[in-house]
Amino acid sequence: MIVLARRLAQLVAVVLAVTFLAFTAMNTLGDPLFNVVGFVAAVDCDAVEAGEIEDISSQGGTSIGDCVVVAEAREEFHLNESLPIRYGRWVGDLVRGDFGTSFKNRMPVSTVLADRLPKSLLLMGMAEVFAVAVSIPWAVAATYRANRAMDRASTVGAFGMLALPNFALGVILFYFFVVRWQVFPSRFEDDNLAVRLKSLVLPALTLGMPLAATYFRLLRTDLITTLQEDFVVMAKAKGLSSRWIMFRHALRPSLFSLVTVFGLNTAALIGGALIVEQIFSIPGLGRALVEASIRDDYPVVLGATVVIATGFVAINFAVDLLYSYLDPRVRRES
Amino acid sequence: MDAPVQTDPAEQFGAVVARRLGPGFWIAASWIILIVAAAALAPWLPIADPNETGVGGRMDGPGWSNWFGTDNNGRDMFARTIWGARVSLIVGFFSVLLGICIGGTLGMIAGYFRGFVDRVISFSVFVLLAYPGLVLALLIVGLAGQTLPIVAMTLGILAIAPIARLSRATTLAYSEREFVAAARVLGATDRRIMIRELLPNVLIPMGALTLLGMAITIVAEGGLAFLGLSVEEGFSWGKMIVLGSSPRTLREGPWVAMFPIGAMFLTVLALNFAGDRLREYFDVRELGIGAG
Repeated sequence: MIVLARRLAQLVAVVLAVTFLAFTAMNTLGDPLFNVVGFVAAVDCDAVEAGEIEDISSQGGTSIGDCVVVAEAREEFHLNESLPIRYGRWVGDLVRGDFGTSFKNRMPVSTVLADRLPKSLLLMGMAEVFAVAVSIPWAVAATYRANRAMDRASTVGAFGMLALPNFALGVILFYFFVVRWQVFPSRFEDDNLAVRLKSLVLPALTLGMPLAATYFRLLRTDLITTLQEDFVVMAKAKGLSSRWIMFRHALRPSLFSLVTVFGLNTAALIGGALIVEQIFSIPGLGRALVEASIRDDYPVVLGATVVIATGFVAINFAVDLLYSYLDPRVRRES
Repeated sequence: MDAPVQTDPAEQFGAVVARRLGPGFWIAASWIILIVAAAALAPWLPIADPNETGVGGRMDGPGWSNWFGTDNNGRDMFARTIWGARVSLIVGFFSVLLGICIGGTLGMIAGYFRGFVDRVISFSVFVLLAYPGLVLALLIVGLAGQTLPIVAMTLGILAIAPIARLSRATTLAYSEREFVAAARVLGATDRRIMIRELLPNVLIPMGALTLLGMAITIVAEGGLAFLGLSVEEGFSWGKMIVLGSSPRTLREGPWVAMFPIGAMFLTVLALNFAGDRLREYFDVRELGIGAG
């Protein structure tokens, strides 16, 4: 219980640090006011009020009205306060589910996120399912005959797969399946679940294939090591079939390592989803983040970043817990 | 940055790993040298001007006059692929260099002094790793601007955390060794021990990881290009792939995207392979890496 509490405290600390970093980056690297109100932010309002700068709003220049907008924005986003206080307010709102309002279309950021997140999750889920479904049988088949032709070819193939950047794979798949053979739609279609799944097949493959190669490499080395262990020799001596040994004795401990790698690889998966959503025009969270960052839509960028980073940290936390639950050896050490 | 976690293929049980680099390493190294040389010498090579339009016709396929074909502005793709290597390689090299300078130093300090300093540094590294790399890169480049130094620096920042972790683990392992204790007994200062005794030992695994790191950053730069956030002026392989990957360009001239993809694939493959071999050669293991 104490271990769990300490872990939870660590989780909270990391999430706070992560959000603080994002918040600070947003506030110091760009002019936060510029991010909120646009070019008007550059107006020297003291000078306008003092009449030193002429009101040239009729020529599309500055006006007293702009200064009101700027002042209101300062008030609304508490830009007069110091950074730590602003961060505190922002986190306070966040905890209550208030992510702020998008600067571009004035929609609550939480609505935008709720609309975009499920598509990204579906995409990543499909990729994971594909990767697991392919890599486990593949690794088992390869280790049955380790170092024979099929195993060697698979190892080389997996190595090559990992050298192909996911966007390159995406473009290649897009070229063959969308442009040449026109098997899949070129944009995301959202009519019903079947159509949605169909338009996610290629993006999920793009994400899933390198993932499958990663899992394959891990499982293969792991299985080969496990098959040399004493308990496997013992099982062989008892006369158990090699199929039984492979699935009931060897695969189970090897799946543990898969669980840890699953957590670590989530970062690669999220980054990949970001890119793949661009290539296949999927209106997911990644696309929302990229669009918002191009338009300097600061609340959306922050909201999306927080969701992504928190999700990633939480997954690794869950994986840690699951791991110590699954493997008694780890439980005892901690 | 977000390297898929890989296991060492050399760790097969019972396999005797000979301390040889093998012919594969030299093939990979030759390709890397060839690309680097071509990129460095690009202005003096007898190739077309990469920005000159109308060198060939619009969307000419690969042929004798234009080896890699031409793009929709009639620019020579062969020349562009060579020039694109410049930005990709510069970004790859300098970001890893930055990561090693900062991350390596931080890791050594944490691993040598331990205690409070170690906790602060390890927590910072943990926080940096809590970001999916591309998201952090998006934040920084989006806010700071899309110039070559900023892109390289951003990817360098991403490289800090994993490198610091490796350097810390290596330092921890070596600080326990007799030669460090001997130096301390002889009255060496911390500074001297770190620079003269520990640094040479930490540099070896770092060096082996440089090539792997370059592969990762070259790909990451391509990823940024797909988010519209690579260098604004000039072009890299990533940016060329983006330009070639619109549905219309793919239909009319797939070679515009495919040649830079091929160049990037072969380079990443060579870097990965040579890096793996070097790591085996110097027997670099992941030395019990973990927080705490």
